[in-house]
Amino acid sequence: MASTERLPGASQHHEFCRPTLYLLRKMRSDASLLLESYAEKQGLDTNFSLDLIDGVPVAETECWAEISDAERLQDNLKAYWAFEILLEEILEEQRSNLTPADVAFHESIKSVMLQVTALAYQLEELMVILNHNVPAREYEDRRSPGENGSFEKKIRGLKVLQQLAQWTVRSIKDLHQVSKSLQPGTVLCAASCTAQAQEK
Amino acid sequence: VQRHSQQESHVHYAQLGTDVTLQCGSVDPEATVTWTANTTDLDASHLNGSRLVLHNVDLSQSGQYSCYEGTSWHLKYRVNLKVGTPPKEPVLMCRSNNYPNGFYCSWHLPSPTYMNDTYDITIIHDSKEIACKKDIPAKNRCYIQYHQVFSSKKYRVTLTATNPLGSSSTTISFDEFSIVKPDPPESVVAKPIAHNPRRLQVTWQYPSSWPDPDSFPLKFFLRYRPLIIDQWQHVELSDGTSHIITDAYAGKEYIIQVAAKDNEIGTWSDWSVAVHATPWTEEPKHLTTEAQGTETTTASTSAFMVAPTARPSDPDDAGN
Repeated sequence: MASTERLPGASQHHEFCRPTLYLLRKMRSDASLLLESYAEKQGLDTNFSLDLIDGVPVAETECWAEISDAERLQDNLKAYWAFEILLEEILEEQRSNLTPADVAFHESIKSVMLQVTALAYQLEELMVILNHNVPAREYEDRRSPGENGSFEKKIRGLKVLQQLAQWTVRSIKDLHQVSKSLQPGTVLCAASCTAQAQEK
Repeated sequence: VQRHSQQESHVHYAQLGTDVTLQCGSVDPEATVTWTANTTDLDASHLNGSRLVLHNVDLSQSGQYSCYEGTSWHLKYRVNLKVGTPPKEPVLMCRSNNYPNGFYCSWHLPSPTYMNDTYDITIIHDSKEIACKKDIPAKNRCYIQYHQVFSSKKYRVTLTATNPLGSSSTTISFDEFSIVKPDPPESVVAKPIAHNPRRLQVTWQYPSSWPDPDSFPLKFFLRYRPLIIDQWQHVELSDGTSHIITDAYAGKEYIIQVAAKDNEIGTWSDWSVAVHATPWTEEPKHLTTEAQGTETTTASTSAFMVAPTARPSDPDDAGN
């Protein structure tokens, strides 16, 4: 690669919580890798149709451009709260019976879990800073009654990771969309982002 | 001889390379008739009674064939013979160059059929059929508006090509992110920077077809090389639409191109139009003849000496 020099005036909007965007990009790549290794270890095909599995927050949405900033951030926050629980379930299932000996695999699940928790925390803080209502956190068992066989657990885990990877893309675009309504130059970071930024 | 030529015209489709038998309408198969092809009489060797037999037809045999009753030269039957081929499996491609608004699908046949081919396209997503709005100027293209975005469900597109000799279809399946491919960056400009013999400033713009640069920022890939060298140098830029090349060879003309990609999804665009530029060079000073002689010798040497450069970026540049 050649030597480079950046001209001033990078787009102001992207200054908005750059650490959160970095976290999301890291999550996207880790979640995509985890999805592939998960499918391989469970002997599943990622093209498997998972439409019938519910209880997993799906990233697809209609009229994306028209969603309000508050609703956008709330949707994101609720989704990542749900993913925290769902990933916990996956980790438990893998440890207890699906891949009990594969400690490295468990670590990669835990790593994504930590990122999801960090992201949820940052999203919550951003909503406070932007004066949006933070939704109440509801703990619901998302599994359907019939889903306790190994195969059902496996494909459910596949859907969780598939949707998590999709959500990371949506969240990045959502954050860009939210930052459009801010004044250029506003660097709006949750306390933890700023702390992280100062450590660098 | 006055030929009576009032007669309803029929059409007969025949596949290239096959044998064709044309009936003279309802005339007795053993009756004596004369056939013409585009007003040229056909000799009797082609006739089997009142039927016209053409072997291993080719495209040149397409045309109007007329059958006259032998004695009264009364036109009994007229047929338009069209020679061609049934459609082969169409080539189908879908792409989103204006994500997240929608995507278009375009298609073509791998070889001509010499016939009027018609196309039918169906797009299924989430078990629902989605309309594909025909793109008026571009015949073989239609546009699909996204109702949902960030969907993990696959799109399944089936295209059927049909003509009078047969039909053929193609089905492709893809997910939303994989077909995102922006158009190339536009208005690429490369300029020397005064008093900087090793620098070139490159600027460009987002493709005008990309609808929302703020929410869907693109990253860019710049490639550049002096015309005298085949090896490209590359630099990836995560945002912004300008870049300064700081390691150009002094005095050498450069060719520069840019490509674009969404930061998270899809594939790189094609390369932009190539632009050329040469780094800034010192204006030769106006000297007396004696000084000029010495200066020329020195100048000619330096023109071919490659100025010391920063550590070459690619290992294989080290040899140059």
